[in-house]
Amino acid sequence: MTGPDPDRPAVPGIRPFLREQAPADDRPPPGEQTTSLRPFVLTSGRVAAVDPNIGLETQVSTHPRAWGARLSPEQRAIVQLCAQPLSVAEISAKLRLHFGVTRILVADLRAAGCLEVHVVESEFPDPDTIMRVIRGLRSLS
Amino acid sequence: MAFDPFPENRAAPSDYRAAPTDDRVKTKPPVPVKIIVAGGFGVGKTTTVGAISEISPLTTEAEMTMESVGVDHPNRATTKTTTTIAMDFGCVTIDHTLKLYLFGTPGQSRFSFMWDDLVRGALGALVVVDTSRIDDCYPAVDYFERAGLPFVVGVNTFNGQQGYNLDEVRWALAVRDDVPVLQFDARFRGSVRDALLVVLDQALDKALRMRQT
Ligand SMILES: Nc1nc2c(ncn2[C@@H]2O[C@H](COP(=O)(O)OP(=O)(O)OP(=O)(O)O)[C@@H](O)[C@H]2O)c(=O)[nH]1
Ligand SMILES: [Mg+2]
Repeated sequence: MTGPDPDRPAVPGIRPFLREQAPADDRPPPGEQTTSLRPFVLTSGRVAAVDPNIGLETQVSTHPRAWGARLSPEQRAIVQLCAQPLSVAEISAKLRLHFGVTRILVADLRAAGCLEVHVVESEFPDPDTIMRVIRGLRSLS
Repeated sequence: MAFDPFPENRAAPSDYRAAPTDDRVKTKPPVPVKIIVAGGFGVGKTTTVGAISEISPLTTEAEMTMESVGVDHPNRATTKTTTTIAMDFGCVTIDHTLKLYLFGTPGQSRFSFMWDDLVRGALGALVVVDTSRIDDCYPAVDYFERAGLPFVVGVNTFNGQQGYNLDEVRWALAVRDDVPVLQFDARFRGSVRDALLVVLDQALDKALRMRQT
């Protein structure tokens, strides 16, 4: 029979949110704020809000008009990638561009008529769609 | 970082301009749906995503707003900081009209986070828990509770050892009775699939409730 394990209290601590107070050391670590010049340059200093419906999973595809357009290297890279529909998250990962930057570039390209952004209104998915996902996952082995 | 965002273009610049139109026939994109895989550092989020994804997980960097409450001075306003986090994601093609994305997002211990972009349109979340560091998942649980997003608590079975049993985890999290607390193994596809199916059940309940009202 061993004594109580000091590393394993008999019961785990309850979630602090439910206590009156959170732990005292609740301060953001210094230097966590990341600012770098590059995203600022890439987006021409744009900080204006883009369509909030453009999410990580939003599908983007190139409009034929884009093939003749004059584009920045980053914009051209996006247009090339999206010849087949791709999500904003995948564009961001493949081009190693910050998601926020990618979203602005995508919004600009859409405004210029070079990209189709297939936004889904932010409503919760409908039961039929969810049922299809369930059936699809169940059939995975 | 010597990264060239358009290597194809540099290799064959004319290729792009002469892009034939026939192989660019519009493919209608799939409707994307997403599930969030959240939890503290090193709990197995990337492993979870990788176990089920048809592509090896990709990473995107994104901003997340962290909020810390002025505990020492309860009257002080909360402090908000924006932090760049690396998020892993993967996907599962359901059929050519429907694609499931999984986003693995770190929740930093002791900071509540807000990320409306992430939950907008999400089906639900799987909160991954390592019972040896159970409190790492609290911010995620708090967040999804407040966001009204269906979620499931998944205790990842590290080496089959569990610090606490599921009842103890449920007690500690004090989640509503209808929030499932289950055990799974992030390394195995079938186990991840079953955990996601429970998330989807929760999502379906919510969608049906919404349809009624
Ligand atoms: N034995 C065992 N190891 C696991 C399990 N799940 C994850 N691991 C290992 O734990 C480590 C961390 O897993 P990750 O999937 O990278 O965790 P994460 O939550 O993505 O970590 P961060 O992104 O760094 O926060 C890796 O070395 C995994 O191989 C498990 O169920 N059993
Ligand atoms: Mg990870």
